[in-house]
Amino acid sequence: MSEDIARMGQCKGPNRLLDHLRRAWGPFLFMAPATILVLIFFLAPVIIIIGISLTNMSSATGFKNWAWIGLQNYGKIFRNPKSGTIFRNTVFYVLVTLSLFNVGMALVVALLTTHVPRRGGFLFRSLWLLPRITPSVVYIMMWNYIAADAPYGILNRHLLTPLGVKPTNWVPAQPWAFVILTNGFIGASFGMIIFSSAIESIPRDYMIAALVDGCSLWQRIRYVILPMIRWPLLFVTTYQTLSLLTSFEYILLLTDGQFNTEVWSLWAYHRALNNYWGNFQWGFGAALATILVIVGIVMAVVYMRYFQFTELVQEPRIEAL
Amino acid sequence: MKHSRGWSWILWVIVVILIASSCAQPAAPAKEAAPAKEAAPAAKAAPEEVELVVWAEANNVEHWRADGPVKAAEKVTDYKLKVTGVNDDAGWGDYKKKFTLAADAGEAPDIILSGHEDVPVWANAGYIVQFDECRNKYPEFNDVIDSLWSSVTWQGKLWGVPQDTEARPMFFNKTKLKEMGWTDEQIAELPERIKTGDFTLDDMIATAKEAIAKGVVEPGYGYWHRPRKGGDFLQYYAAYGGRLYDPKQDKLVVTKDALEKWYAFQRRVVEEGITPENFIGTEWSIWHDTVSHGKVLFWNGGIWQWADWAANYVQDLGGQDYLFSFVGYALQPSGIKGKPGVTLSHPLVYMITSEKASGKHNQDAACALLAKTTTPEINTLHAVGSTHLGILKSQAKYPDYVSDRFLSDTLYMLDYNFYQPNHVMYGPYFDIVWEFMVEAENGTRSPAEAAEAAVQQLQSELGEYLIVE
Repeated sequence: MSEDIARMGQCKGPNRLLDHLRRAWGPFLFMAPATILVLIFFLAPVIIIIGISLTNMSSATGFKNWAWIGLQNYGKIFRNPKSGTIFRNTVFYVLVTLSLFNVGMALVVALLTTHVPRRGGFLFRSLWLLPRITPSVVYIMMWNYIAADAPYGILNRHLLTPLGVKPTNWVPAQPWAFVILTNGFIGASFGMIIFSSAIESIPRDYMIAALVDGCSLWQRIRYVILPMIRWPLLFVTTYQTLSLLTSFEYILLLTDGQFNTEVWSLWAYHRALNNYWGNFQWGFGAALATILVIVGIVMAVVYMRYFQFTELVQEPRIEAL
Repeated sequence: MKHSRGWSWILWVIVVILIASSCAQPAAPAKEAAPAKEAAPAAKAAPEEVELVVWAEANNVEHWRADGPVKAAEKVTDYKLKVTGVNDDAGWGDYKKKFTLAADAGEAPDIILSGHEDVPVWANAGYIVQFDECRNKYPEFNDVIDSLWSSVTWQGKLWGVPQDTEARPMFFNKTKLKEMGWTDEQIAELPERIKTGDFTLDDMIATAKEAIAKGVVEPGYGYWHRPRKGGDFLQYYAAYGGRLYDPKQDKLVVTKDALEKWYAFQRRVVEEGITPENFIGTEWSIWHDTVSHGKVLFWNGGIWQWADWAANYVQDLGGQDYLFSFVGYALQPSGIKGKPGVTLSHPLVYMITSEKASGKHNQDAACALLAKTTTPEINTLHAVGSTHLGILKSQAKYPDYVSDRFLSDTLYMLDYNFYQPNHVMYGPYFDIVWEFMVEAENGTRSPAEAAEAAVQQLQSELGEYLIVE
């Protein structure tokens, strides 16, 4: 082997060395830009947040007069009477929004719109995307006016009052329903697009074969479609879980965490970046955010194992042949 | 393999350097001062131009907060000033966040206008400079109403100069009271009765209930408080004898008994049917539209809203003249018979930023500018335009101010006002008492349970900064 290499070296000289370098380092060079971005924008912030969570940094100390305080911020979180309630709120919000809308309704809409004439399905999906491209402040203001007390609220004025339902300000009356609806309608559009394209890309032969075998619609969904879109299902479920865990934009605009709708990420935001009279507690907020990062990592690992991620990314057997 | 290990080793070095540089940022030295040409000139002769930036939180009728200093620059003789005023209406939370981040980056404006409660936080962080020297330098500051200086005092030193203040009256609908059978004399006497403690919150609830029973106002329209978060609610805590701050110990205070009574009041107005169920969270525009069109009997607001209603809600009906035709105003009634009514004042104050925060050595020029801003000519423009109370003794006789009926009528309220405390932990304190107040009003917890939970939460988050009494 070494003789061969020596001979090749004599024949090609520097070319051989370049070739070797290209083979060994090439993949790393291709990956370098993305790797550097991930390190700077994903890994470094996490490390910095963990660092800040061990300090008393706040508006009152500025970024220069802070001190290390060890795990005191974590102690404050675990002793805080609100922690349990906010944790339960977060789990409830993520579970219900994810199952009913971000995955559940997204799948239903994708299935329906891929089983109607193509143009009609496309139009319906386009309409469903409208809330996502509407500015969030406008979108929530619209919901506020839908739910406002009589005589302003559309819901009260045109729907419920004629039915004899006592009008009220529905957002504070049913805060979770509105939090989940406002998030869910937007969240569902993401899964809808992914699932629709996945369903559309299932080879028609499978569908035809299923029809020839006399499969009902439900059987086609259960035994053909769902198994073939497991990967997009995993992706949407994982991505949307993590997204819901950290997202609070619509809750902030709709209730600002009032009426017992504070979730963990909003709590961190309120403490660290936005409270009514100032003094942002960056250290305490960073500790709250760190706990969220840990929960997110644990959830991601659980999903990977549950959906048997390694099997899903195996090379296709047909192509391997 | 060997090469791979070498490459990954280099990558790790890059990562460590990047992280280290990020982490090292907090300890970085303060930004160097701007070049000498920006420094304030010592001599009066041939002054060099100094560029100053002023930030203010303001809506369209409050634009003089930043435009006042721009106009005042014409009167400054010590320096040749070029002043840029920035009015920001993004909301207080975002505004304060923007300033904090700018100050830490060394890019803060030279003058920042904000609530007086920011004094301890920003002074502690080194973002603003002491004001005592400036206050003694220019005679204009002697005109500031003496009691207002306490709002900018922290640890015995001054940290800014008041720009405006206000009262938060209990507005009442004179027409509706008359429909209930009140005589003109009785209506005219109401502010005095509230001032002396003869007409209390209990009386207000009873009157509102009667108005609904007589069909004068719709159910739920007897009394409307502010629909969203704000310091106004603390007036009820104060009305029941609650204390916020102990200046001797420099600690925040929560008075359990007053807290529970305050929460009970918030729930009672809903249960008595004079305030709608689930009222908190109502859109501001709906609230303004309803109260300014005379549909509510009693409502709690701020005097600055008067200009907003006149300009943006009832201008087509005659603006201020229309409002005067049916709106009366008084202090917030006390919760205790015989105890005077109260009002919360929340002075906004100009603060001069430090060299570390602004990156410039313009503090003397900023002081000169604030002296010329603190004059009846400039301040009255803002006071009249936005219906805020003046901050100067001379404004009581200043023609443009005196001729404003609403401001003259409400000026006495400053004798019954209180301020929120200047304490670094006041932000979290307020968030907690507000949060449990909402739970009490909405019926999620009983007032007693909400008060108990609020005290526990305060103790948990504020610890040594809190006195429970």
